[in-house]
Amino acid sequence: MTMIGLEIHCQLTNLNSKLFCSCKANYREFEINENICPVCMGLPGSLPRLNQEAVKKATIIAMALNCSTPEKIAFFRKNYFYPDSPKNFQITQLNIYGDTSVGGSGSIMVGDKKIRITRIQLEEDPGRLIYEGSSSKNQITLVDYNRAGTPLVEIVTEPDFETPKEVRDFLNILSDILTNLGVADPSLEGAMRADANVSIEGGKKVEIKNIGSFHDLEKAAHFEITRQESLHSRDIEIIQETRHWDDKRKITVSSRSKEEELDYRYFLEGDIPWISMDPEIHTKLQSEMPESISSKKERYVSKYNIPAQVADVLSSDKYYSDLFEESHTESNAKEVANIITTDLMGLVDTREKREASKFTATHLKELADSIQSGKIARNSSKNALHEILKTGKDLSTVIKELDLGNVSDESELSEIITQVISEESQAVEQTKSNPQTINYLVGKVMQKTKGKADPALTLDLLKKQIGI
Amino acid sequence: MNLKISALDYVQEVKTGNISAEDFVAKTIERIQSVDSTLNAFLSVNEKSVDQARGIDKKIKSGEKVGDCFGMPISIKDNMCIKDSKTTCASKMLEDFIAPYDATVITKLKQQDAIFVGKVNMDEFAMGLTTEFSAFGPSKNPWNTDCVPGGSSGGSAVSVSALECVASLGSDTGGSVRNPASFCSTVGYKPTYGLISRYGLISYANSIEQIGPLARTVKDTAFMLNLIAGIDPNDNTTIDNKNEDYLTGIESGIEGKKIGIIKEMMGEGIDPAVLSATKDAISKLESLGAICEEISLDMVKYSVAAYYTITATEAGSNLARYDNLRYGYDFPLEGYEFNSYISKARRNFGPEVTRRMIIGGFVPSAGHAGKYFLKALKVKSKLTKEINDAFKKFDLLVAPTVPILPFKIGEKIDDPVSLFLVDINTVTANLTGKPAISVPYANSNGLPIGIQLMADSMNDKLLLQAAYALEQTVSLPEVPL
Amino acid sequence: MVTEEEIEHVSKLIKIDIDDHKEYVEKVRAMIDYFDVLDSAGVESEEISMPEISISNLRADEHIPFDDKLIEKLNHYKGTYVRAPKMSS
Repeated sequence: MTMIGLEIHCQLTNLNSKLFCSCKANYREFEINENICPVCMGLPGSLPRLNQEAVKKATIIAMALNCSTPEKIAFFRKNYFYPDSPKNFQITQLNIYGDTSVGGSGSIMVGDKKIRITRIQLEEDPGRLIYEGSSSKNQITLVDYNRAGTPLVEIVTEPDFETPKEVRDFLNILSDILTNLGVADPSLEGAMRADANVSIEGGKKVEIKNIGSFHDLEKAAHFEITRQESLHSRDIEIIQETRHWDDKRKITVSSRSKEEELDYRYFLEGDIPWISMDPEIHTKLQSEMPESISSKKERYVSKYNIPAQVADVLSSDKYYSDLFEESHTESNAKEVANIITTDLMGLVDTREKREASKFTATHLKELADSIQSGKIARNSSKNALHEILKTGKDLSTVIKELDLGNVSDESELSEIITQVISEESQAVEQTKSNPQTINYLVGKVMQKTKGKADPALTLDLLKKQIGI
Repeated sequence: MNLKISALDYVQEVKTGNISAEDFVAKTIERIQSVDSTLNAFLSVNEKSVDQARGIDKKIKSGEKVGDCFGMPISIKDNMCIKDSKTTCASKMLEDFIAPYDATVITKLKQQDAIFVGKVNMDEFAMGLTTEFSAFGPSKNPWNTDCVPGGSSGGSAVSVSALECVASLGSDTGGSVRNPASFCSTVGYKPTYGLISRYGLISYANSIEQIGPLARTVKDTAFMLNLIAGIDPNDNTTIDNKNEDYLTGIESGIEGKKIGIIKEMMGEGIDPAVLSATKDAISKLESLGAICEEISLDMVKYSVAAYYTITATEAGSNLARYDNLRYGYDFPLEGYEFNSYISKARRNFGPEVTRRMIIGGFVPSAGHAGKYFLKALKVKSKLTKEINDAFKKFDLLVAPTVPILPFKIGEKIDDPVSLFLVDINTVTANLTGKPAISVPYANSNGLPIGIQLMADSMNDKLLLQAAYALEQTVSLPEVPL
Repeated sequence: MVTEEEIEHVSKLIKIDIDDHKEYVEKVRAMIDYFDVLDSAGVESEEISMPEISISNLRADEHIPFDDKLIEKLNHYKGTYVRAPKMSS
């Protein structure tokens, strides 16, 4: 039986400042070493100043993952030497004096399966290392501390996963939840990282680190299971160790573990008192939490009769659910949902495209209403959407400019119908005897109007003119 | 011009125009130049002091608002950051470190127009009791230059006592302000933990240390406390003292106050001169209307072991950042691998710091934490309980600051445990967070003896009142140098 | 009882290259042996206490850039990266 557990690190990129200082939390726009201060550089005499909003956001995450949240939280030092860690210790959370990290004992459903969350803790991200120099003799490590001190939430799961696919599904769900909560943007480069631990047949646990993406995580888990099974089948012992994922060769490789470095000498961080989470804060946070994905899905299905699969897509992607919430009405909800999940989706499948898109909730409402009222045919609406996304112009302008409007003017349509009737006298006779065949004539009207004739009106007028 | 002027008198004299800040500071610099080659209190002297004083005089003349210090020359222990100044902690590891920011206490004093006349000597990274562990040579006790001035804020005590400045800021982790104050016959104050911001104080044992003023009189100490105490957003461990004024009402006296005499601090090994001075102080306190009674704090017996275990662990962690990569001293990294480079660079720590860090790596380590570090934390908890119980019965506690007289330089440097025990009367206040003060009380064959008073947390005002009352009962000799 | 091997082990942990571990053994052993007195303190059942503050006293989440170009004030670098020796693995 395969057992996989995860350790996920997610940056709280929606915060304004770092965990212990007022430098920017999202470091990505800065030049090298421009987003630093004495605190995040760990300069002599500097002291950490805990970010109140970070504690709140981490608590919200804990609540969303059904975790218990303690009355008091504490911070600890994890002591080890590494150039990306300016103090040569990391301020993190532990549970050695009772439950003192922001959350514990939670769970998430992945399909029908319950994945247990062991704990959630707040900690600081280290800086970034770059290796310069080719020959091993003159190689130098370059360090950029812009990221040092960025707030991280570490989410640890029990080894409840049995297949790499379950892991992948879980990460997608977690990603959606975090986006929906508004605490992080996991799609930002490096914002969400995960390590895994893998064991088979109840044997020794092997940790896998240095996994760059969720895609790689699935591959790494798969490789590791295979590796362990192969050893097991040959009666070779599986060593408990840390391995790292070699992206080039697509294999896990044993890391040279240094025994001394494993003793982190954890103790309480003396510069940060225990934080008491007043019960009113808990209640307030709970009430301010955005609606959960599952709750949204249920509401879309039960209140608006939106098909389950469509509701799934809408609810799990905050970008779509936000659009839906702002643009829908009782009457057009289904149409709005439809537009988003069939026409819009393919056009905004990356964050760059979403950032560039000029298609707003107002546009969407207008479009849905116009389709329902027959002002524009569904076929033409696709073109309209394209244009609005590019230019941001309002629907009426676009309809005019691209000549997309439905022909719904009675006299205009009547004229065209008269034309068709005169051109298709045989079909007209056939229709008189067999009314079902009227669709042929409708088709001809559509041809003449380039598909813009209002179908219901066309049918009506045709029938009238033919006299059936 | 008399350099042996109190801070309050200095301010008065400058305010009324009897002396100019420039003249006084110039004379102070002269004094430093004359005696410091013997005493070695200063690691660096501020060349611009006199110019800065001249600027203050101008401000006074022009009627501009002047800060409360009026150009008073103050020395700063070299573990507090002054922007764009060298801050070495008396260590070769930081010998080229120039602080890019001001400590909060420095910002506050700058705003009050104090003049930092120099950075003073200390035991390296504040680890020590005699200033002998400075990488730049020991400081000498101005009362007897063969003797240690105490530590780790030795330079602070020497500079105040030898009239090289009017007041000083030191730091007290286990007695490092009170001990040298006692050895050099000055007042030394350690506030309630959290009263003074540690932002900019280079950490040694951050859960128990505090910055503290050293001055010639108790009133001066209260004056300094007013300028630097208070909650600081840059330090999460500071507490709100609601802008308490420590100077007003300082002459209130101690009529009816109950004072506990800590039995374990007057025990075996105490020097007879110290014991007799303490008994004398107690009778003086009684004559002022206090009621003195013996009290036992059992955990004091374990306080030194707990103190060194905890501080070594914290120091080991606080000093881990000194890997010479971001700041430090000149040592090129070409040809080295990471671990070998930093292990070599960190050889620049002195032997005492190295010893403490070895201990600090040992006592919290996986196999030993239960026996040493965790037990020490529990002793700290129990000691705190004991002293809190004592303060239910007593308003103040009294004991000699150091159970022995200032000893000769080199005498205890090779006997670490004997050196530990010099701290036995002072570490309790740090471990429990209580405020404590050393008041110069007596002189035995020219060697100073200080008496220590302690109060409950946030009772700093009461503590200063009691210290003032005791101080008024003695008249001490002039410093011989 | 502290041995030379343990001191060697710890000195690797704290990253200080000690020439002669024997030199430190005597003094460190004396200091650590002194700590044995903690065993007689009878504190096994004590709880560890810590100061507390309320979450509402914590720093507000604002981006305030440090006003100086800090990297230029620190030494041991060329250009804007901080330079470190190569990593062994």
